[in-house]
Amino acid sequence: MTVNELVEKCGFKAVSMPRPEREIDGCYIGDLLSWVMGRAQEDSVWITIMSNINIIAVATLTDVSCIILAEGVTVDSEIIKVALEKGVNILLSDKRTYETAVAVHELI
Amino acid sequence: MKELSLNILDIAMNSVKAEADTVKITLAETDESFEMSISDNGCGMKEDFLKTVTDPFSTTRTTRKVGMGIPFLKLAAEQTGGSFSIKSKHKSEYPDAHGTVTRAVFNKNSIDFTPLGDIVSTLVTLIQGSPDIHWVFVHTCPRGEVSLDTDELKAVLGDVPLDNTEVIIWIKGYLEEAYAEMA
Repeated sequence: MTVNELVEKCGFKAVSMPRPEREIDGCYIGDLLSWVMGRAQEDSVWITIMSNINIIAVATLTDVSCIILAEGVTVDSEIIKVALEKGVNILLSDKRTYETAVAVHELI
Repeated sequence: MKELSLNILDIAMNSVKAEADTVKITLAETDESFEMSISDNGCGMKEDFLKTVTDPFSTTRTTRKVGMGIPFLKLAAEQTGGSFSIKSKHKSEYPDAHGTVTRAVFNKNSIDFTPLGDIVSTLVTLIQGSPDIHWVFVHTCPRGEVSLDTDELKAVLGDVPLDNTEVIIWIKGYLEEAYAEMA
């Protein structure tokens, strides 16, 4: 499953998609960035509600396949600009964190 | 980070890396706010570099000089409605008065306020890891004060090094007792 396919099948909204063909392997959920930084696995989907600039750095360091902002959280255009530059995929989900994770789980 | 003491450890390690010989950690608490300040007389940072330290991307390259500690501390303070600042003087411009002051203010009543956590272990780790640094720690709060100055200890210890196991155990016990009295 690629990030591109996930967007098509789950109806998440892609706001930054510099690497649509990235393969997804696993899922991590967390909002405390220092915690996520040490635990999210490479190629995972990372579901969070945090939307500040630091999430792009954490995504880069952990090399997750994409960030999904759940619960209808939105993200500033400035941050999207940086995400595009750094090759970080960001998807938006209107579903709650749990339902977002369940939708991801059904596909991967 | 789950505890502010881990942020303190991280920032103080920057002071160690900056080759400071004195590091002062001040925690000033009221009923509403918690202010931490870490000041050192290390090499300091030039203005251009200083501007980039709160930017997570100046720090995530493979050759990064500091970790994500500063962006995380800034976020932790700001998400409580508090503030963050960092001031520095580089030794090339201020040969006699260089160093860095990192300051974060938290609103204690915010639901997102992270507790201080195990500050005693943080201090013991710092002293044990860099016994040659002059460490000054002061924590004031409405109930009282806890403080430690390693130069005062050295004056009493004479030739016994600060990282001597018994000394470290004594420091740990002293701080734990001081906190227990304040509680």
